[in-house]
Amino acid sequence: MSAYRNIRLCSKDCMCLYVCPTGATDTENSIIDTTKCIPGCTACATACPSGAISIIPNTYPPQQQKSKTVITAQRTLGIRKIQQEHITDAITTSSESATTKQFAQAISKSNRLMAEDILRESGYMLPQSTEVHELLETLLKIDTPDFPKDTVKLLLNKLQKTKQ
Amino acid sequence: MREFICSICGYIYNESVGIPERGIAIGTKWETIPDSFVCPICGAPKSVFKPHNVTPATPVPLPVNVDDEHLESLRELSTGELSVICSSLAKGCEKQQLTAEMEAFNKLSEYFKSKTFTAPQATTLAEVTKLLDDDIAKNFVDANAAAHANNDRGALRSLVWSEKVSVIMKTLLDRFTKEGDAMLENTRIWVCDICGFIYIGDVPPEICPICKVPNFKIIEIKRR
Repeated sequence: MSAYRNIRLCSKDCMCLYVCPTGATDTENSIIDTTKCIPGCTACATACPSGAISIIPNTYPPQQQKSKTVITAQRTLGIRKIQQEHITDAITTSSESATTKQFAQAISKSNRLMAEDILRESGYMLPQSTEVHELLETLLKIDTPDFPKDTVKLLLNKLQKTKQ
Repeated sequence: MREFICSICGYIYNESVGIPERGIAIGTKWETIPDSFVCPICGAPKSVFKPHNVTPATPVPLPVNVDDEHLESLRELSTGELSVICSSLAKGCEKQQLTAEMEAFNKLSEYFKSKTFTAPQATTLAEVTKLLDDDIAKNFVDANAAAHANNDRGALRSLVWSEKVSVIMKTLLDRFTKEGDAMLENTRIWVCDICGFIYIGDVPPEICPICKVPNFKIIEIKRR
């Protein structure tokens, strides 16, 4: 577990500074120094009157199971948004008008965000989930020389699986 | 006197109140408001407004829950989907302050993106409009039915947001077909970084009309 301060919410009431037993919350860049945190201590988050500090867990519960019907429908829609992203991407390079490019860029970005959200809800929400671990395992089988396999290994190594 | 609700953001037009600050007098009938009217909150066109506080029609029975076991196994993910799933997981890591993991997922996302649609693609905005028309008429209907049948509220949430974003996108594409670059000449364009809502205007709404995030997450797309 580690404490994280959202500086946009922080109202500078300083309770976190008073209750922190190690000085981890008092830093020149406003980022809590988690190397000083005592494991399991949640004093700063509890004392903060503006809810600006949250405790980020190390382990997460298993994710909600998705039905195949839902996964199939979400993927069908997701693929369409990806197509629309690619078409508008092409326009941002091919068009000669700066305004058309600007408009195409907005549509492309919007499609990317929709595709991400739709596919996140097809069973890939939490990076630490079993589903994501299984996906990463299958990616290890890719044999193309330019595929960054080490990146996949790093993720499998660093992402702590959900509790079963 | 009747009320009409914006199906994108929930703004309600009340005939007995009008919108005097926009030149729509108290008592103005909905039918007499010009078609060029847009929602004062989110910019949605008049066509997406629906009568408000009207007894709803008998609800359509939900499709019977589909037995997953009878479905064929899922097909493999395409490189396009892998790119999107990886960039979404990168954001998931960012939210947990896992910087190295975020960068790793972004790297994978870029790799898969570079392997997607390398062949020349149709490159007109009309192509996008055509795809959007089918999405609104069919793909959202199917996906909503699947999510409802399985009581998958998370999937439903993603569909409610992206369907509204798609409707707005479609109306902007229609406008762009008619007005061309003039549509954006003297104004600015913004995209909500959370749901993809597109807004044209000098200042974005205080909160996103679709996902309700504060507007510091609604980002301007600059002309270059």
